[in-house]
Amino acid sequence: MTLSAATTPRRTHPSSVWVSVLRSIPALLGVLVLIAVQTGGDLPGAAGDGLPRLLAVGAGLLVVGLALSSLGSYLSWSRRVFWFDQAGDLRVDSGVLTRQQRRLALSRLQSVDVHQPLLARIVGMAEVRVEVAGAGDSRVVLQYLTESDAQALRAQVLARAAGLRPDVGTAPERVLVTVPTRDLVVSLLLSSTTLVGTVATVAIVALVVVSEGAVGLVGLLLTGGVPLVAAFNQFVRFFDFTLAESPDGLRLRSGLTSTRTQTVPPGRVHAIEVTEPLLWRRRGWVRVHLTLAGSPGSPGDDDQGTSGVLLPVAPAAVARAVVDRVLPGVGSREFEWRAAPPRARRRAPIQWRELGVAVDADVVATRRGRLVRRLAVVPHARTQSVHLTQGPWERRLGLASLRVDTAPGPVAVVGLRLDAATARAAVDEASTQARRVRAVAGTPRWMSAPSPPPDPAQVPAPDAAPDAAPDAAPGAAPPVAPLD
Amino acid sequence: MDAVFAPPTQHWTAVSPKLATARRLVLLLVAVPVTAVAVVLASVAGVPGWVTPALAAAALLVVGWLWWLVGRRVRSYGYSERADDLLVTSGILFRRLVVVPYGRMQLVDVVAGPLDRALGITTVQLHTAAATTDAAIPGLPPAEAVALRDRLAAVGEQRSAGL
Repeated sequence: MTLSAATTPRRTHPSSVWVSVLRSIPALLGVLVLIAVQTGGDLPGAAGDGLPRLLAVGAGLLVVGLALSSLGSYLSWSRRVFWFDQAGDLRVDSGVLTRQQRRLALSRLQSVDVHQPLLARIVGMAEVRVEVAGAGDSRVVLQYLTESDAQALRAQVLARAAGLRPDVGTAPERVLVTVPTRDLVVSLLLSSTTLVGTVATVAIVALVVVSEGAVGLVGLLLTGGVPLVAAFNQFVRFFDFTLAESPDGLRLRSGLTSTRTQTVPPGRVHAIEVTEPLLWRRRGWVRVHLTLAGSPGSPGDDDQGTSGVLLPVAPAAVARAVVDRVLPGVGSREFEWRAAPPRARRRAPIQWRELGVAVDADVVATRRGRLVRRLAVVPHARTQSVHLTQGPWERRLGLASLRVDTAPGPVAVVGLRLDAATARAAVDEASTQARRVRAVAGTPRWMSAPSPPPDPAQVPAPDAAPDAAPDAAPGAAPPVAPLD
Repeated sequence: MDAVFAPPTQHWTAVSPKLATARRLVLLLVAVPVTAVAVVLASVAGVPGWVTPALAAAALLVVGWLWWLVGRRVRSYGYSERADDLLVTSGILFRRLVVVPYGRMQLVDVVAGPLDRALGITTVQLHTAAATTDAAIPGLPPAEAVALRDRLAAVGEQRSAGL
């Protein structure tokens, strides 16, 4: 098997058909109930035998619905094939009426996820999501494969993206962090969202009780649920969170009912943010977010998986070590902060002490926030553009703010209310450093020769590939984007 | 223009004053009908005699102020091409300065609406992988805009740094 060996097109596992039919049942039932509610009263027939009739009609509709859903599911399964082409890219052809041919350039791979929704997990199936850099819809979801097949496909995608032989198998991994369930629960209960929600609930309930008496306690059930549901959602999502390191990137695993394994190849991290909510400080806990250059799912999107969160909760020292893995030397670095001047108090009375920016040879870092302290870091190799802004009030005080634009994601790198001259100097310095770093930018295929191999002719011979593999040993430093 | 938003080396390249003409035309296109309708309504409704002229005077004042503001705003636009990046500045009340490296530019748009075309101005819009980049240079003469775009595309190609 050579580096660029094409594979024959194949389908996902045949069980995908009935798994997706089963997954559609709740929606079908929902529609039926809706129809029943809408038309139930108007069904012809006496009031007495209305109910049996309704049930019979409902059952009939359910059967029809299931049949249609099975047919659609079968057709879409039989028309969906995927393979690796000569250039080593992942190709997916799909669609029944409208055919879609998609080609994912693996040199631009951002992450590979293996996701097991609850139902699929029960029957031992998994879906694979492959995401490349790009605006809009730049991912492919292959559902469903058997668990082992999904793992193999993930390994193959990563190997090809890295420029290794596709059959090197799964890279060995080393667990960096696991989040204990107890810490997760405590941290979620102490999170600002939960607290604000709870305080709001108490306020609302107190108000209602005062005005309407004990009936108001019912409100507790309704409004009190919201913060708890939010916290519970996060609990389910981040349960058993494990962060591991392997030569093909960071592996993030988590989930209670449905599990996700996300693999982020080295050097794909665009920005990092360490947040420290007020109530976590006594315990010294932080959360770490990251921005990847993929399509950022909408906030409530279940598909998002763990993307966006690198560590749901961890002691600061652990978080620093993890950040060091992602951006070498950054986590443990003491930045030379250029803090906002005391006169910034008149523009930012609460958080002015926290505001600051730092620019060094590798990164731009900003900090802000009083209740939730945020430290954001973006490597020069990933900055897109730099903004300097000044509003009228800032101008009166001789202040200015700056923002480093990165790929869309949860991290905002903003230095607020700084001394105007300092801010301008930081902007100039950031652009100068970014220029220097871009001049020595590295290869997209991080394991292969110095220049990216765009066509098979330039790809190293197959027997050369095993030489690259020892570099991938877990002990070796992860080959992240050149930062020095 | 103080030192904070000063150009890096030379002067800011200003945009065409025709941009002010275009924006003032738009201003009139909105202000004149709105004022006319207000004045007509006021006279039909039978308000006291002094209200209608006062209304017209107020409208005139506001339009005059906006007229002047448009001029200042247009004069505040500027760009500067450096060896490796493009700087764009704008705004009076809320001032901005954007540094866009050529190597990060993903595409460059040249846009002109009907009014712009009639007056002979175009907008050059730069896009990077960041949605927030938002660097546009309005009010360039078409020839200059196309030349700028081609220059940007050429250096962008040379210095492309991927993501």
